[in-house]
Amino acid sequence: MLAGTALALAGLLSACQAEIDAQPQAQKPVTDKAAEKAVESTGSPYRSLKVDIAGISVGKPATPEEIAGWDIDVRPDGHGWPDGSGTPAQGEGLYDEKCASCHGTFGEGEGAWPKLAGGIGTIKTGSPEKTVGSYWPYASTLLDYVHRAMPFPSPHSLSWDEAWAISAYVLYLNEIITDEDFVLSKETFASVHMPNEDGFIPDMRPDTPQERCMKDCVDPSKIEIKVALLGYCSGAEDCIDNGASGKEKPDPAQLVGKKVYESACKLCHEGGLGGAPKLGDVDEWRKRAEKGMDTLIKHAIEGFQGEAGVMPPKGGQTQLSDEDVAAAVRYMVEQSQ
Amino acid sequence: MSKGTNKGAIDSQPEALNRLLHSEADKLSGVDRRRFIKNAAVFSSAVVAGSAMASSNLPPNTPEWTKKLGLPVNTHPYGQPSPYVAEKIVRRRVPWLTPDAIASISFTPLADIKGIITPNGLVFERDHAGVPTINPDEHRLMIHGLVERPIIFTMEDLMRFPSESRIHFLECPANGGMEIKGPQMGRLQFTHGMNSCCEWTGVPLRYLLEEVGVKPEGKWILAEGADGAAMSRSIPIEKALDDSLVVYAQNGEPLRPENGFPIRLFNPGWEGNTMIKWLRRLEVGDKPYYQREETSKYTDLLYPRREDYKDRYGKAYIFSMEMEAKSVVTFPCPEKPLKGKGKYILEGLAWSGKGRIKAVDVSFDGGVTWQTAQLKGLVLPKAWTRFALPFNWNGEKLLVQSRAIDETGYVQPTYKQMRDARGTHFIYHNNAIHTWMVKESGEVDSVQIFEKG
Repeated sequence: MLAGTALALAGLLSACQAEIDAQPQAQKPVTDKAAEKAVESTGSPYRSLKVDIAGISVGKPATPEEIAGWDIDVRPDGHGWPDGSGTPAQGEGLYDEKCASCHGTFGEGEGAWPKLAGGIGTIKTGSPEKTVGSYWPYASTLLDYVHRAMPFPSPHSLSWDEAWAISAYVLYLNEIITDEDFVLSKETFASVHMPNEDGFIPDMRPDTPQERCMKDCVDPSKIEIKVALLGYCSGAEDCIDNGASGKEKPDPAQLVGKKVYESACKLCHEGGLGGAPKLGDVDEWRKRAEKGMDTLIKHAIEGFQGEAGVMPPKGGQTQLSDEDVAAAVRYMVEQSQ
Repeated sequence: MSKGTNKGAIDSQPEALNRLLHSEADKLSGVDRRRFIKNAAVFSSAVVAGSAMASSNLPPNTPEWTKKLGLPVNTHPYGQPSPYVAEKIVRRRVPWLTPDAIASISFTPLADIKGIITPNGLVFERDHAGVPTINPDEHRLMIHGLVERPIIFTMEDLMRFPSESRIHFLECPANGGMEIKGPQMGRLQFTHGMNSCCEWTGVPLRYLLEEVGVKPEGKWILAEGADGAAMSRSIPIEKALDDSLVVYAQNGEPLRPENGFPIRLFNPGWEGNTMIKWLRRLEVGDKPYYQREETSKYTDLLYPRREDYKDRYGKAYIFSMEMEAKSVVTFPCPEKPLKGKGKYILEGLAWSGKGRIKAVDVSFDGGVTWQTAQLKGLVLPKAWTRFALPFNWNGEKLLVQSRAIDETGYVQPTYKQMRDARGTHFIYHNNAIHTWMVKESGEVDSVQIFEKG
């Protein structure tokens, strides 16, 4: 969830080309052969106690009842498959009530929350869309996780019947189960197979063979530098933009505004949280723009109590400079004309 | 920080600062107190900046703080940082990274960490359902499954076993995940800060497994947490019997809540996600459990560009748990620019999940030429290792890189090598060589180097 979201949300903004300048002067190559040798020749730096642990434990035997209460894992091979059952039809209402606010009515995912359905077949294409249906190898993981950790705000609140039913509905949204009255239970679970079951291989690392080259390792004339975040394109042919925009050279000021918007403003201004004018809502932004850009920027920096809601100073992101906030306001106004 | 906030305080004198910070702040609580300290810290730096010209605290004058008594002992029974650094050296989040602040991550401020130990309050955290507040008297570790004697341990029971203390890094495999498609984060804290290194103390897991008696068919162990997510991972028995620990202390004190209090699993050299926090259950089984966090997440989806890896196209590594050798320069970096021409000592951190760091090479020209840095201080297996290299700077542009080599001979790869092997749709285990561009001004940008043609 974490980094995938990051990659999806943050456009890579720029690239530029730069020449390699002179080397820092008077650097003496330092070798550390002695230290390397010392590293090679040592065993564990830690001394462990030599002790017989027989008789040291005071743990108490776990009873079957105690184990049953905590043993919630469900494995692909039948281990841990629980009693109970559910159908997609039974799961639909539960899903709408407990899941759809984050995961979307059809599993499409609200905002940055995980998408559950769709994308089947994309994993092998090079433009993957990871969902339960497209990526997860085993349906058992879905049942396990729904029961283990969902719904996010009230974990460990679902019965096994509810978990079976919600899982059945998520499989139905993915068209892995096509009959809305299919009874998902430990009797039928083995018949469910996920499209990407064969999509996983053992760890093949190290997979990046690399020599310890010390000089002339790269042709300096071929070096191209791409700058993070607030840099800009200066003629490089393949500006990386993560597909966020076309090939045109973007205006650096607008890049700053977009970046700040993405990182600081979007949370409220994308969906209109707390009365915030939505990006692209022409009418709402026109009303505000009539006050003048300077006033709008001043309100964004210092905070403002409006009719629709409160704009906290810098949206609560007080680490931002005034210039960054101004750039974000300009970006939002430009995007809402 | 709006300008208006500080104006009222500008008239104050430096000696008022200590009094304000130590007495007034103590009357406040929660958010008010934090805001107060933050304002005061900003104010104090204004005073410090101004005082460089006309401070009565500089030679030949006797400083104000030398002419009076200080605070009593134990003013802060647990201790706290100087008000001059409070709220400056802190973990930070990147709000847009995750949909909320509960299943989220914070980053360690690597530029300000000295030595190889991360203070507990600065160790990054990754939580999947927030940080539970657990009463240790009512917390239990259950070990069951393919064992002769399923047992429930109290926390006191665990402390009866022989303990071991080990210094190891702890890195989230998503560290640097935002950089895989191209340079994205502009600060060291965010490019490399899902990482930390502490002295961890606990019971070797093999003792506990000996106690319950693992049956011969027991090959994998499901580890599960007591948080809302009941975070769970499958661990091979070989690792559990080798160097895994059930830890209850970090850097000498009980685990912090956000790092797993009262106990967590610790798998030295492996991805942080396997080191289940708030550990409540270990189930021994004959197969892995294919949990969500080892199928949907924490797998590496591959689109290799290398011809010889074509059969991996569209496949994903599963159970890729070892962290390969990696390094980063911590000075200079975006948070710590160069200030004027002259002699400096470059510093950085290197680590490997396979063992000790053997050497670190540094380049100032974007990887064209390399020289070997010096290793500093302790060189421990699966731990942060410091490296350093003196250099003179005459104001020219630099492309600073570091490259770690571990005792297995593994050499940290370039981004090109990594992308050739895996494409750009994976998220975890980015250990590529990072580049800082030192500009003529001395400021530092985070960049990546691509080869044209």
